[in-house]
Amino acid sequence: MTDLLQAVDESAALEMLHEAGCTDGLPVIVPTPDRVSTLVLATGLDADLQLGSMGPANGVATVGKVATAAVMAGCLPDHMPIVMGAVNAVLDPLFDLAEMQSTTHCTAPLIIVNGPGRHSCGPVASGFGALGPGHRANACIGRALRLCMINIGGARPGESDMALLGHPGKFTYCLAEDEEHSPFTAMHTDLGFAPDDTVVTVIGAEAPHSVMYSGDADDSEDANKLLEVLAIGLANMATNNAVLTGGGAVVILNPEHAKILHDNDFDRRAIITKLWQLTHYPTERLAYFSANFAARIKGDTYRCFDKPEDILLLMAGGSGLYSMVMPSWCAGANRNQYVSKKVDLEQFCEVPALAAMADQN
Amino acid sequence: MRDGINTARLGIPAVSLVTEDFWPQGNFVAQALGMPSFPRVQLPHPLAGTGTAHLRSVAEAMAAQIIGGLKND
Repeated sequence: MTDLLQAVDESAALEMLHEAGCTDGLPVIVPTPDRVSTLVLATGLDADLQLGSMGPANGVATVGKVATAAVMAGCLPDHMPIVMGAVNAVLDPLFDLAEMQSTTHCTAPLIIVNGPGRHSCGPVASGFGALGPGHRANACIGRALRLCMINIGGARPGESDMALLGHPGKFTYCLAEDEEHSPFTAMHTDLGFAPDDTVVTVIGAEAPHSVMYSGDADDSEDANKLLEVLAIGLANMATNNAVLTGGGAVVILNPEHAKILHDNDFDRRAIITKLWQLTHYPTERLAYFSANFAARIKGDTYRCFDKPEDILLLMAGGSGLYSMVMPSWCAGANRNQYVSKKVDLEQFCEVPALAAMADQN
Repeated sequence: MRDGINTARLGIPAVSLVTEDFWPQGNFVAQALGMPSFPRVQLPHPLAGTGTAHLRSVAEAMAAQIIGGLKND
């Protein structure tokens, strides 16, 4: 821990952090040494342990710096396994974080949590309004990653983070899969992990786009129509996925839509394969809107996604008419790949929460 | 800027072309990658989609600076 700032009180410290550009614009918890030490303790690691280099500033992400961001974000010690998993995911070279932070596109890291850590590290919400306000772990974990990207990665709007407008998910963007109520296998098991593994998957994603579909059990084409509207949202001609192609994207089915697909014998594999097929487009459609981007394509049709597995599929949210899709950026050396990290919960330590410590004081 | 610096690190002469609106970002990246004085030429913004005639006029106006940067004049 170096370069400690001094202030006369918490209010003055907060203003100093705002002034220094170290916040996301909202008030933060002032990261005093004691508070940071508590979250470092929770990780079971040394504060000076280096996790990797975070672009575009190439700041070295240490456990202590990540814990500092987590304190500022309002995290509890229990949140740290997911925070560390998310940080390790974006530090993976496959994630292309430096390029993602620098792009003019609005992309933001969406954190998806699977496995038992959904309950023990939060809980991380997966039901009604999981991407909205009111869920502390979702809010704080995603915010902690963002504050790392600001203060370690050096992302500042208009100088190093060149997103033309950004999106609200750049404050926080985190949810869990509702594995208990999903008719499908859990997302992380499709990615090669065991059901009991706690896995954090991060993908650079646009803001969530609502996809409305009102099911009709009397319609034999019910499931196919649902898949068609999901595909439209996922890769319409206004998305990078349809123009740049080759990236990943996310589909979040609400329980009602998941049931429609399940009742019509679609499993996880069949769903993403069908979405992949439905996003094979005539090249002339792309040429109409973006001749320059169409010029590279050989043949009369092209694929928005290289393979079905590039589409992340999970179930979350309340039950109703609306699912969500998140198109993506599709650029960078690795084309906006998602990265999943298994979190070893045994490594982390149970420590008193900040509020409990405050009560003792 | 990042591409230019990575190209130069391969031993290939390089100049980064940076549009006016992205000039501060170019400075940031050059600093972050440890080559703050990396040669770069400022172009007007926007360039994309401004038409072949405009692109040609910009190229003609900037060619000497770009070649100068490559020659490290």
